Amino acid sequence: MRFVLNTGRTIRQGSYVERKNSPVYREEAASLYMNRVDMLDLEIEEGSHVRVKSDQGAVVMVAHPADGLVRGDVFVCLGPYANFLVNPETHGTGMPDFKTTVVTIEPTTDPVPTVRELMEQCGGVGYEG
Amino acid sequence: MKVEDVVCPFCGCLCDDLVVEVENNLVINVENGCTLANEKFMGDHRLKNPIRREGGSWKDVSYDAAIRETAEILLDADRPLLYGWSGTHGEAQSVGVHLAELLGAVIDNTSTVCHGPSILAIQEVGHPGCTLGQVKNRADVIVYWGANPIDAHPRHMSRYTTYADGFFVKEAFRERKVIVIDVRKTESSAVADEFVKVDRGGDYAVLSALRAIVRGKGDLIPVKVGGVTRDQLFRVADICKNAKFGAIFFGLGLTMSPGKNKNIRNAIELTEELNRHTKFTISPMRGHWNVYGSNEVFTWISGYPYAVDFARGIAFYNPGETTSVDVLRRGECDACLVVASDPGAHFPRACAEHLARIPTVQIDPHVNATTCLARLQIPVAVTGIDAEGTAYRMDGVPIRTRKLYEGTYPSDLEILGKIYALVKEAKGS
Repeated sequence: MRFVLNTGRTIRQGSYVERKNSPVYREEAASLYMNRVDMLDLEIEEGSHVRVKSDQGAVVMVAHPADGLVRGDVFVCLGPYANFLVNPETHGTGMPDFKTTVVTIEPTTDPVPTVRELMEQCGGVGYEG
Repeated sequence: MKVEDVVCPFCGCLCDDLVVEVENNLVINVENGCTLANEKFMGDHRLKNPIRREGGSWKDVSYDAAIRETAEILLDADRPLLYGWSGTHGEAQSVGVHLAELLGAVIDNTSTVCHGPSILAIQEVGHPGCTLGQVKNRADVIVYWGANPIDAHPRHMSRYTTYADGFFVKEAFRERKVIVIDVRKTESSAVADEFVKVDRGGDYAVLSALRAIVRGKGDLIPVKVGGVTRDQLFRVADICKNAKFGAIFFGLGLTMSPGKNKNIRNAIELTEELNRHTKFTISPMRGHWNVYGSNEVFTWISGYPYAVDFARGIAFYNPGETTSVDVLRRGECDACLVVASDPGAHFPRACAEHLARIPTVQIDPHVNATTCLARLQIPVAVTGIDAEGTAYRMDGVPIRTRKLYEGTYPSDLEILGKIYALVKEAKGS
């Protein structure tokens, strides 16, 4: 199913922003919030893994219901998971479309990658310090 | 030891009323801080020493070797990018701009992915802003547009708006009207007197409709604009027009959404319209604690607030071309120095991939996503905890952050000063 991805700050993301290797940061940054009816349509429950795809790539996240979101909108806090999907085009403004990435979402049983694994996919080398 | 009047180096509120208890070079308690402040001060998870990537693993290196190699990387590059700067103090930012000039580099700060579009709009139509003290003491109507202060600036409401009693607003909670305008319900919208739910991408149209109503052209407004009913638009316009003093605060919900800088221009022009009826101001909710400072420092030295390109020997500014995301997505820079930020986590993936391809050096106290992409990381003291320096609050008020204890890490200023000296010597200037 097709959705529009919105990103932004959450207090949990902000609290762990200097501990990006921590399980809590990973849990928050990889949380995908969506409308409950959309979850029913996708036949998923809270905590289900989903594969989120855009024209930039795909990443596995964990679905959670959010009452504040209308159908068709999903929300992920800013961070490496959301940015795996965001197009770098800025339309001459310097600012990518962080709040309107078109994505498709499907259920999966694949594991959620760590931040380190995401950065390794970008060509980096993980550091566990 | 208890230290009073401590300044919090997390968000643009720069709260300066914290009481911090320090024992053996460690913060053990924080009073008055929000969750973000507590985590910032109490966190003990710093990178211990400089590290260097060698093939597929990391080795410890000395500060001197890391500084020397950083200078060499920057000197070898044809088009280096110096990015970040919002998480350090003004004195270090100043060295950064001079280093960029010496190298003929592009220097950019994190406004590029937060309020850069706000700056573009302000350059077009000006900024009718004010200090947060004015808002606290005078404003009886507060509008948060595309902002969620409870999550992003947790004490903004209690120090300056919704819950803050002021000189002319004795009982804030009763006397102030709070309007939240957003595409989704948030913790902040839950405490608003009026929540205006805008359709995704509808902000520009809603701003235009409010301008028309305030201008006396309400008969032009259709039944719904951007998902907002005509009735609600008139109600919001009335609340604003009848304010004694109104303040709009806007967030990335406007700067990152379709329209971007044009949304902000429209919001500023709505503020201008409202000033025909009453006193109204508008201000961005700045994110990083010293991102405003990076705009100030860049502007003093180069004339431009971000995205400054020194390749021509003079300062050149063209957002969309000289902005970091554009420089990286085009694969244009051949080295990058990241200071006090984390583009690995906060830039689109394509940019992170380019950072991994080129020699990237990071100066930062913590291990973050950019660490994995870098060739070298140099840990430094945290400004506001074990280093001091000047920062600018979101309303442009400079505040001196304090050093709470004498730590063992060098400051950003010391490291950047040494890199600058090496580059200057090599350039023979």
